[in-house]
Amino acid sequence: MKPVMCIPLALAVVLMGCGKPASNTQATSGAQQPQQAKWVIGMSQCNLGEPWRVQMNHDIEDAAKAHPELQVIYRDAQNKSETQQAQVREFIQQHVNLIIISPKEARPLTAPVAEAMDAGIPVIVLDRKVEGDKFTCFIGGDNVKIGREAGKFLSKLLGGKGDIVELKGLMTSTPAQERHDGFMQGIQGSQIHIIFDADCQWLQPNAQREMASALARFPHIDAVYAHNDPSANGAYQAALQEGKGREKQIKFIGIDALPTEGVRLVKDGILTATFQYPTGGKEAIDTAIKILNKQPVPKVITLGTRIYTKDNVDRGGDPL
Amino acid sequence: MRPGPPSAVASRSLSHRVSGVLHVVDQYRGVIALLLVFTLGCFFTPRAFDTHLPIFLSWRTQLDIVFEYCEYGLLATGMTLVILSGGIDLSVGSVVGLSATLFALLTIGYGWPVVQAFPATIVAGLLAGLVSGTLITRFRMQPFVATLAVMVSARGMAKLISGGIKVQPAALPWYHYQQDTPFFFRWMTRALPGIGMQPATLLFLASILVMAVVVRNTRYGRRLYAIGGNEEAARLSGMAVHRTKIITYALCGAFAALAGIVNACRQDLGDPEAGFTYELDAIAAVVIGGTSLAGGRGGMFFTLIGVMIVAYINKILSLNATPIAQRMILQGGIIALAVLIQRGKRENQ
Repeated sequence: MKPVMCIPLALAVVLMGCGKPASNTQATSGAQQPQQAKWVIGMSQCNLGEPWRVQMNHDIEDAAKAHPELQVIYRDAQNKSETQQAQVREFIQQHVNLIIISPKEARPLTAPVAEAMDAGIPVIVLDRKVEGDKFTCFIGGDNVKIGREAGKFLSKLLGGKGDIVELKGLMTSTPAQERHDGFMQGIQGSQIHIIFDADCQWLQPNAQREMASALARFPHIDAVYAHNDPSANGAYQAALQEGKGREKQIKFIGIDALPTEGVRLVKDGILTATFQYPTGGKEAIDTAIKILNKQPVPKVITLGTRIYTKDNVDRGGDPL
Repeated sequence: MRPGPPSAVASRSLSHRVSGVLHVVDQYRGVIALLLVFTLGCFFTPRAFDTHLPIFLSWRTQLDIVFEYCEYGLLATGMTLVILSGGIDLSVGSVVGLSATLFALLTIGYGWPVVQAFPATIVAGLLAGLVSGTLITRFRMQPFVATLAVMVSARGMAKLISGGIKVQPAALPWYHYQQDTPFFFRWMTRALPGIGMQPATLLFLASILVMAVVVRNTRYGRRLYAIGGNEEAARLSGMAVHRTKIITYALCGAFAALAGIVNACRQDLGDPEAGFTYELDAIAAVVIGGTSLAGGRGGMFFTLIGVMIVAYINKILSLNATPIAQRMILQGGIIALAVLIQRGKRENQ
């Protein structure tokens, strides 16, 4: 008999032992103290396994600190659309004042977001869109612009001609497609040729493997354009491991510029440049405050980008 | 009934009574565990921020709990059959991906009416199960290995037919639907007026009820228990062991296809990666319910309880925003405990 009772018991222990301290220190759950804050915001993040999304939560947390009247509840959907659907519905049940969502996928989250809107809860959609126009505000970066700036920068860096390798992100995803399209616009009219390209699915080990193939095939490579910083780092590691010192001649360019990834790689001299893909966390809180105070907000907010190079990395990059 | 240990013989009459009570409790231990979990949910529910009503107790939340677990429930229904027969089916997660993609492709892509696409998808699931069953019986492969092979190739098939992309309106220019998914997708996942339940939920509940009757009251059901209990004895007594097993895996595949259709409707698209690692959740639900992985012991009612226990625990943890680390540790612990319960039960018998 004992083991049967143990299931609910273990559950109770976890709920009491682990749930509360976490909620007290980080103000994550906070369902216990509804009176303290004037407004409660539910934030559903599609996946906290990616550093960029962890950064997004950090940015939101930092921005929310300046507003004691706000309480933010964070949820991690573990990269499952269905979990995220459930989270949005739970927020509706909890009668939060506003929902911030960074959807895993547009289509599955369209209906729950619309349900929230129907229940009178404004929704800020971050980074990835939902279908239609039933949301309050969309905040996202401009991958085409980022790709274009990277292309222009590389073109200038190489004096308008050269042979380069493109290490792409997951090409079935729109960010990768847009970073590619923008880059092609950026190098248009120059003598820059993409001599090798591969779909690395955003992953460093894949990029390292593909770059090893590129190094084996081409004795002369001027630069590597990678769709994210880990891929650029993987390419550098491949060149380093080749043992011919080519990592010093080849210029490596990445995207995303997370403080712990791309920016650090630029500081370390591994990357020549990285372009920030902004998380929009701060802007989301700014917009939320406006919405909650019944001020008008634009339907779409497009974020700019920043470039980080050896020269400007210490003063926090330059806006583009 | 096992005779009591010698020391207990003295207080026989008292212990007899106690064991009688315990026996009744024992019969319904799953239900009791479920009730305890439910009670915990009542205690640990967050409240709505304005009305302060407990969220866990709202009718909407209760219905959401079943709805959110109906895919796993459908998988667990098929998995129960396989596990009762003494086997295991690792391919169901991939079959979810394959059938979700196929169903979306047939309806959204080729514009087939649902009345054709639905049975076609079920047939695809049946075929996947048929392959598993044939490999296991005719080619004497171990269920673990045979269904592992089907798991890998079914995932490949899903990627092949979709061209590696998610099947959704306007994903490719030739798709029949370029704006919205067919009405059926929304119908499956919206609460029916009057009942308050989604057709997807009803599909799960109907499936498990029908299979409960089949397992209890048909010749097929009795064979299933016989084979799971002692395959050699079943064979020697002249049972069609091979045919029963093939039917079992085919049924499991069909239920996986049903889960795949539900998945496509819930996601509003056909994702070739859908159902990844779902087989583990299905097996866990069956085992937690109390059906023995050794085969021959358990039933559909146990699985319904198991699915509900897992669904409730997940909802409670989700509502309380329990961090994922604790959640995973707890889930692992629950599976281990469930096995302990099973062992206790076997010793009792």
